[in-house]
Amino acid sequence: MKAGQSYIFRAVGAVLFFLINVFAIYLLLRGHNLPGGGFIGGLGSALSLIMLSLAFGVERTQGILRTDPVRVAGAGLLLALLTSLLPLLAGDPFLRHYHVVLPVLGKIEVGTPLLFDVGVFLVVVGVTAKLIFVLARPNADLTALAPEEWRNYAAPLEEPIEKTARSESPAPEDDVP
Amino acid sequence: MATALLIILFVPLLGAIAALVAGRRLGAQTAWVVLLAPALACAATVWLVLQFAPGTRTVIEWPWIPSLGLNLTFVVDGLALFFGLVVSGVGVLVVFYSAHYLDHHYRDHGRFYCYLMLFMGAMLGTVFAGNLLLLFVCWELTGVTSFLLIGFLHDKGESRAGARMALLVTGGTGLAMLAGIVLLGQAAGTYELAALLDGVAKGASPGRLNAAFVLIALGALGKSAQFPFQFWLPNAMAAPTPVSAYLHSATMVKLGIFLIARIFPVFRETELWSPLLVTVCFGTMGFGALLALMSHDLKAILAYSTVSQLGFLLGYYGMASPAGAQGDFLHIASHVFYKGCLFMVVGIVDHATGTRDVRELGGLRHRLPLLAGITAVAAASMAGLPGTLGFISKEYMLKEKFDYWEGAAALNWYPMVLVVLASVLKVAFSVRLFWGVFGGKPRPELAKNFHAPGLAVQLPPLLLAGACLAFGLFPTVLGGALDRLHTVGLHHPVDLEFHIWHGVTREFIMSMLIVAAGAGTFLLLQLERWRWARVPAWLRFDAGFEAAVDWLPRGAKLLGRGLRFDRQFDFLPIVLGFTVLLLGGFWWRHRGELWPGLPVWADINPLRAFVVGLIAVAVGMVMHMRRWTSQLIAVSVIGFLVTFYYVLFRAPDLAMTQILVESATLLLVLLLLARFPRSAELSEATRAFPVGRQVMNAVIAGGMGLLVTLGALMAMKHKHAEPAGSYYLENSQPLAHGTNAVNTILVDFRGFDTLLEATVLVVACLGALGLLMRYRRTAEEWAAGAMGPAGYGLGRTTDQKKEKKSP
Repeated sequence: MKAGQSYIFRAVGAVLFFLINVFAIYLLLRGHNLPGGGFIGGLGSALSLIMLSLAFGVERTQGILRTDPVRVAGAGLLLALLTSLLPLLAGDPFLRHYHVVLPVLGKIEVGTPLLFDVGVFLVVVGVTAKLIFVLARPNADLTALAPEEWRNYAAPLEEPIEKTARSESPAPEDDVP
Repeated sequence: MATALLIILFVPLLGAIAALVAGRRLGAQTAWVVLLAPALACAATVWLVLQFAPGTRTVIEWPWIPSLGLNLTFVVDGLALFFGLVVSGVGVLVVFYSAHYLDHHYRDHGRFYCYLMLFMGAMLGTVFAGNLLLLFVCWELTGVTSFLLIGFLHDKGESRAGARMALLVTGGTGLAMLAGIVLLGQAAGTYELAALLDGVAKGASPGRLNAAFVLIALGALGKSAQFPFQFWLPNAMAAPTPVSAYLHSATMVKLGIFLIARIFPVFRETELWSPLLVTVCFGTMGFGALLALMSHDLKAILAYSTVSQLGFLLGYYGMASPAGAQGDFLHIASHVFYKGCLFMVVGIVDHATGTRDVRELGGLRHRLPLLAGITAVAAASMAGLPGTLGFISKEYMLKEKFDYWEGAAALNWYPMVLVVLASVLKVAFSVRLFWGVFGGKPRPELAKNFHAPGLAVQLPPLLLAGACLAFGLFPTVLGGALDRLHTVGLHHPVDLEFHIWHGVTREFIMSMLIVAAGAGTFLLLQLERWRWARVPAWLRFDAGFEAAVDWLPRGAKLLGRGLRFDRQFDFLPIVLGFTVLLLGGFWWRHRGELWPGLPVWADINPLRAFVVGLIAVAVGMVMHMRRWTSQLIAVSVIGFLVTFYYVLFRAPDLAMTQILVESATLLLVLLLLARFPRSAELSEATRAFPVGRQVMNAVIAGGMGLLVTLGALMAMKHKHAEPAGSYYLENSQPLAHGTNAVNTILVDFRGFDTLLEATVLVVACLGALGLLMRYRRTAEEWAAGAMGPAGYGLGRTTDQKKEKKSP
């Protein structure tokens, strides 16, 4: 995706990005008791990233993010796993959840399910954002993966097609009889 | 005792983590940190041995998944302790050796020691496992970690090929073993080893026991590189030498022997036990010795001789009497000492001269006098010369073969003949190994690249060779030690007695004849200059195996092309047409009982009907539109309209999810469509089907619609089953402390599912990233045509072919 041409879209997009994310986190936090949760919140947050890349271009968005979304997904998975392993330390069965009532702002009941949900949130954000970025980059005449990422996702011996840009004439597809 | 066991099992894992952390900073010095782990494990094992009362069995149990019959049960008995000692003891030596061997020429020391420690942990887990399923898990873990170790130098094609072969063979036979374990577990009603060893399975039907035994034995034969799986071991020699010394002489390949010893009391009575093990394994013994004689690479010689010796050790259990085996630990210990030592020696020679080809080496005794001495002792032990442990082992072995011959068993001559044959060949290649490297005239061309090894790197092989010599001179010490490890059920109740001199018995005469014949063979071949010695390709089996592996993706391609996966226009009517025919036919036959009855018009809600009308309009749009983008947006209008029903039936979670997923999918597919050239879209738009085809499509589409409608009506009418949801609705608040049942199901009631789904999501993403990075085909691959081996990662890449050609 190239950067959008519309100044208004860019201006609004920057504000909307924060609003959507606040809402997504709100959905995540209230998920245990009201409609919402990690999956929905994560999708919302991922959509906000897509919107940002529509407005500012995918390369700039990735620059703003700084980290590879796959790492975010990995961190989420690790968090969910650690949360589910935590009870083993206390001698309880795998995936047991604990709850505490905190006396702040009235009485708020929080528990490890929230941590688990945050993990799911991160996994969904990371995976969705990464896939969309990778699919979107060729449309902006970029390689699907940045050259410094090649080694992370592919065999070292092979050489990617999309070394420079899409404008290079594509190799002829093998003809199907 | 439990504490010592915990140390043994967890210290390697801690060592693995420490290696990763320390590896970045310390580089080649990581070994000194890691060395603590095997040393501690070894000390704990020794402590356990001292605590251990011979002939007993202690079971230590921690519950894990009791509902699956899977407990973390560990067994401490003589067998486990013996193998535990071998694994941890050789582990200490190998880490020490690696510290000097893997110098700054190597990279990623942290990763290397991490894999090595993980492997050791998996080995110790297998050895001490007290539950067959746990044993299997650890067993496969050793396979995975050995894959990583063999392929450690992953920029070399042969390392990758060797690693893949080892993983496929040991993993594949491991699956057979899993099937055998399940069969045994079903027959006996338990997976606990302690119960099985006490004879729970005795009453099971013999057919089942036989099948279980054959399957489990398959796993053991694969792991121990027995015929017809022997080919992976020589190819696994692409690993760095410390790995070969550890995995392929002392530990991993011994797992097959361990397993057979483990299940000895369970299966000894089955009628297939002796015939299968004796025929296959003694056959492999002779075969391996022959191939060892025909090889020139020092590591290949050692690899084939290991195959041969493993054949003997497995066959040994095959011919043991039901009362138990006796000298098994002696033979295993003897093999560990000399083979581990020789592998390390080969590594040092390779390091010092830059070659492992025995034809290019020679005369090194002046430059490496200490190493020559070490090798002389170890090779003498391999050949079974008097004064070494190998001699005691061979005496004992021959005595048993004579006893077996005199016994009335069928095929009683077979082990004797092959053992004698293999021993003669073994003497020949032992002498060759020593003489080829250290004997003869000094070679001037070796002097160029020569750099002398330090004293420290020669210490571990020196210790092992010293053990060969010391136990060979004072066998009663070893006999006493091994008696301490007496294992109930496996061992003959009579104590072991080894002596250096039994007098001039028939075994002694036989032994001397073997040495003489072996020396004669060597002399003859030396005069012949080993011209004929070459392992023919058809005896190596690995080419055939690789070809079979290469055919997997080709077969998949053939199938895909045969079924026209690439042309959905032709494919879809067939699939949908069959669905309509089968389901419609079934429905028509049972129309009497299945007919749901038409809905009453008064029941129809105008609001819902209006939305249905909108959906129908959107469907019409999809058919009418010609541009892909417009069609896609019309499709997603349908998706958004469906959300309305979720709102109507008060499922806000679903509605929100549907909207978000719909938006994300729409964007995703739009992005994909943007990648197609305009010409593709135009050619499809102008494409017109013949009238007959259009009618057929319409009929199939109409039939599908009818079926789905009928299904929906039936679902409305027949609501017998108790919906699963009510349990969650009732218990969401009291059990999971949340009022949103959808969320409590996701994170609490079915949290395990969610965890695995999240894992699947990440794995799928990684896979997709690999696929989205497309590769340019080389000219060669274009020439190979559509069926060529391009892509798939399974076919050989061009680089690999080049590497194969060069030597």
